[in-house]
Amino acid sequence: MPAPTHSQNGYTVIGAVNGPIEVQRRDEIPDEAAIEVNVRPATGIGSPKERHIEHILTALLRNIILTHDYPRTLIQLTLQILSVPATHSTLPSSSSLPILPALINTAYATLLAGSIRLSTTLTAVLVAVPKSELEAVAQKGSSHVFAFDGRGEAVLVHSEGKKFEIEEWEQACEAARGCVLG
Amino acid sequence: MPREAELSLNEREFILQALRENVRLDGRAFDDIRELQLSFGDEYGVADVRLGKTSHNPFPDRKFDGIFTISTEFSPMASPAFEVGRPTEAETLLSRLLEKAIRRSSALDTEGLCIIAGLKCFALRADVHVLDHDGGLVDAACIALVAALRHFRRPDVRVEGENVTVYSVREREPVPLSLLHHPLCVTFSYFNGGEVVLVDANLVEEQVREAEVVVTMNRHGEVCQVAKYGGLPIDALALLNCTNVALAKVQMLDKVIQQRLEEDAKRRDKGGLMAELNGDTLHKDDDRLDRTTDWLAWVSEWIEKAIGLTVGVVAQRYAVRCMGVSEGGTGRGKARARALEEGEGETVRAM
Repeated sequence: MPAPTHSQNGYTVIGAVNGPIEVQRRDEIPDEAAIEVNVRPATGIGSPKERHIEHILTALLRNIILTHDYPRTLIQLTLQILSVPATHSTLPSSSSLPILPALINTAYATLLAGSIRLSTTLTAVLVAVPKSELEAVAQKGSSHVFAFDGRGEAVLVHSEGKKFEIEEWEQACEAARGCVLG
Repeated sequence: MPREAELSLNEREFILQALRENVRLDGRAFDDIRELQLSFGDEYGVADVRLGKTSHNPFPDRKFDGIFTISTEFSPMASPAFEVGRPTEAETLLSRLLEKAIRRSSALDTEGLCIIAGLKCFALRADVHVLDHDGGLVDAACIALVAALRHFRRPDVRVEGENVTVYSVREREPVPLSLLHHPLCVTFSYFNGGEVVLVDANLVEEQVREAEVVVTMNRHGEVCQVAKYGGLPIDALALLNCTNVALAKVQMLDKVIQQRLEEDAKRRDKGGLMAELNGDTLHKDDDRLDRTTDWLAWVSEWIEKAIGLTVGVVAQRYAVRCMGVSEGGTGRGKARARALEEGEGETVRAM
């Protein structure tokens, strides 16, 4: 089976899922599956940034996967970042949002390809809100990641940036909804 | 964590019985290598190797300070038996073999990475990502690493005393690494007390083998290292035979890598100018050929010019003769003409 590879915003991610497999005693949950997400950067070994992304993804996927169908097992998802755009090195090191949609969409495709039972679909998109064109170049605006399920409900919202108003956020949300749900 | 699924006794016996009858599970000959697929990414130094189902992705990255390191970390992507943060035996063996094969055989001239002795140098990091595991990890990782190192370009630098300027890819054409030779690994697996020898065993074959011999050599037949694992004793002469077989395989693999590199260089070369810039460093053999063709063109151009010049001279002489000026040269002709103008009839006739 070819492993799902997904490209978005210049990031390419390949995914693989093992599961349901035997779980370690300390991670075992009596009535549902434990979920483990491994994000591996293109170069070097994982940093706290990858751990942070893994934490976000685990929390998100726990709500999407029908974990109660696989009690006392482990669903192990590995996401390997294959390539990053040239602009990636100019981002602040704490910035984890640009890669997030590619990871979420790859995770969804991987789970589908691996025949893991899911409660709904999942799609994620990145919305950048520049204050003005000049500021967009200097990355002074804000960026938001929205993920929507099959019913059009936002299941994941993450924002980062200098400063943004609630109106801007609502506009970004609408833009994302329009982009994802058509 | 689940262990690697062990083969059942029946499966094990089936494979061994088939090998006794000179049959391999995938129908290959005993000394056949699986088809090698090699592709390069958009960035320099990203090589994707597929040997059967086993695949690798190394990414040499550049940072300052330090030297050449090879990082091999297995993820559960390759096999559920690989656990994050706990190296398996296979991982230790792989990193040790790559270390011996590439680093200690000084395939990469690390002195070339030095900018100012003792003060500044490039650090090259090669990450080997195993995406799928179907045996022959060492061979595939070595191919991937060598291909990536040959593909990689480091940024150009200029040194002025203590000041170092590192040029970005846009400013100056990045330069390739200086590789002294290109070592490749070939793994031999021994079965049935050493009677059966397989080249490039796949995962199930690896699970039933009794011993393995990894031979690393370059295409000139220089052996870089020989490693033998497993309890089975192997005859010294059999080892010599291994190196002979390995040489043929290495030359074949090297040719494939070379061919892919040339294809990639052609793909990157949009205007035709880059070929001339890259030519002398990327493919030495091709470069020699290029120079020969240049030389031929130069000679033909030269002959053409020479012929043109001769024809011109002959034509001029013919024209001069037609005008009634003797072979003696224009000096006399001019003198005669001047004399005619001046009306010195006697002198003219005498001339």
